[in-house]
Amino acid sequence: MRPILLSGHERALTQVKYNRDGDLIFSTAKDQQICAWYSHNGERFGTYHGHVGAIWTVDVDPTSTMIASGSADNTIRLWEVKTGKCLKTWEFPTAVKRVEFNEDGSKLLGVTEKRMGHMGTIVVLDIDLDVNAEQSDEKSLTIVCDESKATVAGWSYLSKYIIAGHEDGSISQYDAKTGDLLYNFPIHELNNPVVDLQWSQDRTYFITASKDKTAKLISAKDLEVKKTYVADTPLNSAAMTYKKDFVILGGGQAAMDVTTTSARQGKFEARFYHKIFEEEIGRVRGHFGPLNTVAADPTGKGYASGGEDGYVRVHHFDKGFFDFTYEVERERANRLS
Amino acid sequence: EDAERINSADVAVVEHRRRLLEEWYAWRAVTEEELAEEREALGLPEDPVAELLKAHAAAVAPDEEEKVIE
Repeated sequence: MRPILLSGHERALTQVKYNRDGDLIFSTAKDQQICAWYSHNGERFGTYHGHVGAIWTVDVDPTSTMIASGSADNTIRLWEVKTGKCLKTWEFPTAVKRVEFNEDGSKLLGVTEKRMGHMGTIVVLDIDLDVNAEQSDEKSLTIVCDESKATVAGWSYLSKYIIAGHEDGSISQYDAKTGDLLYNFPIHELNNPVVDLQWSQDRTYFITASKDKTAKLISAKDLEVKKTYVADTPLNSAAMTYKKDFVILGGGQAAMDVTTTSARQGKFEARFYHKIFEEEIGRVRGHFGPLNTVAADPTGKGYASGGEDGYVRVHHFDKGFFDFTYEVERERANRLS
Repeated sequence: EDAERINSADVAVVEHRRRLLEEWYAWRAVTEEELAEEREALGLPEDPVAELLKAHAAAVAPDEEEKVIE
């Protein structure tokens, strides 16, 4: 099936995110609005106005009642999905680069930027999923990243840990209740920032993407690297598909950063790898610039990518995708049936 | 002889994949079991979101159940 092109943004995409049911896609870009789309036909569901700076990040709670967004205007905002109403604004001293709800939507974390006089932090806000409730002004936790600023962060299973990826390529595990740093491992190449972190459905493991041209599958409990996917371009994003054991990597270098003269300079393709075998199995073209963000439909029907070119492309997997299996996978399936 | 060599290389690749698959599913089984135990110990529902959605639906449309028409 041909991809659906969502052309509602005027600037580079920063994050795309599916809701739990996979029927809505939320997108943010360097322009100042958040868009929501129906994933099956690409029709716009709504927009959310209020930010006065580039929007870096968006997340939707597990009941699809609220979304949270983080922006270069130094705020996190909470919105009602249905009405587009801004329910709450929290202000910070610096830009907010990442937000994520925990598994039951009762907590929201935000990653704040490091700037002269301000350390990078990870803040936790308690959320009441009742749209009529008064949201608390107070942060319930602040983690200061004094070694290397956090670039991305998320909540593990049981909201037990906060896992963060850092500018120096390392990954940290924090106790989500106390904020204590439990582990910090140099997992990606030194000083190659971790630029994305996405969870498996049960949040026991996650995938990271880094400028070091690799994505890694890591266990949340002990930060053990289970798999490594090697690409030929700096990565911006990595997602796991559901129902099939694949991962999708997005990256590419912007024209101004390309110093080589090879024919296929940009490498603006979504790359599919087998999650368990770490082998590349296919590429999907389409964008005219680097892929800044990729997301997989949690119901397994497709994926979306957001590009530096200002477009979101929504792909619905076809039969060939679902039929594709390795011999050893068929063997295993037959044995179990 | 060449064919034999290629054949044994293929066998090695398949063996390797088979091992990766076994290792992966063994790790998943252990991890999922640990998670289920931890959830139970904390008195949490097996699927936190399913419970949440149920509560949410009840709050949005509290009289939903009464609307069932036989």
